[in-house]
Amino acid sequence: MIDTSPEFRVKRSFGILMMVILLIFAMIPTLWVIILSLRTPMAIFEPIWESPLELTLSNFFKITRSNFPGALWNSFMTAGLSTAFAMLVGVPAGFALAKARLSGKFVASWVLLLLRMAPPIGFVIPLFLLYVNSGLIDTYIGLVFAYMTLTLPLVTWSMWNSFAQVPDELIEAAIMDDASLLKAFLLIALPAARPGAVAAAILAFLVAWNDFFYALIITRSDTATAPVAVMNFISYDSVDWASIAVASIALTLPILPLMAIANRYIVQSLSGAVKG
Amino acid sequence: MTYHAKTRRGATYELQRGYRRMMIPALLAVGIFAFVPLAGMFGLAFSDYHLIRGTNWDFGFKNFAKMLSDRRLMNSIYVMAALSFFGVAAQVIIGTAIAVGLQKITGKWRVGRVLFLLPYAVPHVAVALIWLSLFTPTLSPINAFFALFDVTIPAFLTSQNGAIFAIVVADTWTNFPFAMLIIMAALQGISPDLEEAAAIDGATRIKTFIFITLPLLVPALLMVTLFRFIDSLKHFPMIFVMTKGGPGRSSQATNYYAYIQTFGNENVAYGAAIAVMLFLMAALISYYVAKLNQRVTT
Repeated sequence: MIDTSPEFRVKRSFGILMMVILLIFAMIPTLWVIILSLRTPMAIFEPIWESPLELTLSNFFKITRSNFPGALWNSFMTAGLSTAFAMLVGVPAGFALAKARLSGKFVASWVLLLLRMAPPIGFVIPLFLLYVNSGLIDTYIGLVFAYMTLTLPLVTWSMWNSFAQVPDELIEAAIMDDASLLKAFLLIALPAARPGAVAAAILAFLVAWNDFFYALIITRSDTATAPVAVMNFISYDSVDWASIAVASIALTLPILPLMAIANRYIVQSLSGAVKG
Repeated sequence: MTYHAKTRRGATYELQRGYRRMMIPALLAVGIFAFVPLAGMFGLAFSDYHLIRGTNWDFGFKNFAKMLSDRRLMNSIYVMAALSFFGVAAQVIIGTAIAVGLQKITGKWRVGRVLFLLPYAVPHVAVALIWLSLFTPTLSPINAFFALFDVTIPAFLTSQNGAIFAIVVADTWTNFPFAMLIIMAALQGISPDLEEAAAIDGATRIKTFIFITLPLLVPALLMVTLFRFIDSLKHFPMIFVMTKGGPGRSSQATNYYAYIQTFGNENVAYGAAIAVMLFLMAALISYYVAKLNQRVTT
């Protein structure tokens, strides 16, 4: 049944118009940052339609001579290490929480959710004092520990959800066949929950990669992560917009493939509550 | 046969003990990485700790009493409420609109949804910096575009409500895809039969949406709203990058105010007390989320 009444056409055009406006809203900042990253220093304050050919790649080369690539490396290391540790500890815990007969599971789920969602200012103040007094400020270890407060609850909570979807019978059958619990976990449950584990690792990495707040407070020049190092392009008397644009692209590009894999799991990690 | 299977009860006991052992590393880690800082936060909140002067070991409720009469704190709560309300509302409405719109798009145009997802991938600092440039009148292509028609865009970042508006726009831009993803998933779970049945009964599309689809989306909408709301309690990078809490204190949300008190005014104890307040708010909301989650999964 195809509706061709004029009334419907008006409504449909209105709908398409709305989608186009929203698409423009979604796209303008992205297009703008790409343009900005390619502008020559002389033309940066001119509208692109007045000097559309004043483009250069020199901004990308310029940033490689700053401390920004080092900061990207710091981001990569700290996000990677805190994710690895969180997986090592959180995956078995998520398995046990999903399968064990326990009282207090609700409290456990609440605490994990709260730790994942609580404003980081509360964690940062005591950590800062502790780090200043113990020499952990501006060290990889200090930052990785701090990121564990973000990544560990996230991994444990997501893996709990993933393992809950693995049938109990699979584990029980393995145990019946005289496999140890560890074997049942490593050889049966973990492979079955692998997509969930990949997603948990990606989400944990993204949370640490995107962090600004912890790094701002507990890093200095040595271990400053990329989100903090970008701020160096802003000084009191001038703002290096082209470098900021390049840095923003450099911050986003490495995680795009991860986002592409993880976006459907973002939904799944909340799915229990959303299926309705 | 090993001792596992000696008796059924013995095997179960052994199994449950195995599960508990698997939790020990995580319990230790959560204890060290989460509860130690949390205990520190509560301890500091009741102390008189100053970043430079240290402490006189004077414990009590002073910081909490001070909060009640602190007008800057009241202002920060007002700012936080405004940022949360307008930001979450805009994200949920735009996210839902796009999810519903995308549902109608079929065929090769479906790949277009990636364009709507892209903003979600951009780290918050980059989001803040990009929107800072878009709200800088001398630089912004939006201002230049409207200048072609002799329309002057006001300088948002230097006016009180404008600063809040600018932060809401940046926050909405990066977070509407989250709402969109969740609503899209929920829409897929709704049987098309229901909407067809309504259409056969003569309901218009708008009526079908309001009376059939929307009620079925309520759990997803509630979840998105709660998640985005908790997240909006920790507004920081956008305020830090775009406005520094200004002009004046007009965009100084509570999380940012706690940061200023702790690291700017060096009043660590008072900053921790504000952090405790935010933590308790997050605890309340996440309790509700956990309850919702439990009701649906069991």
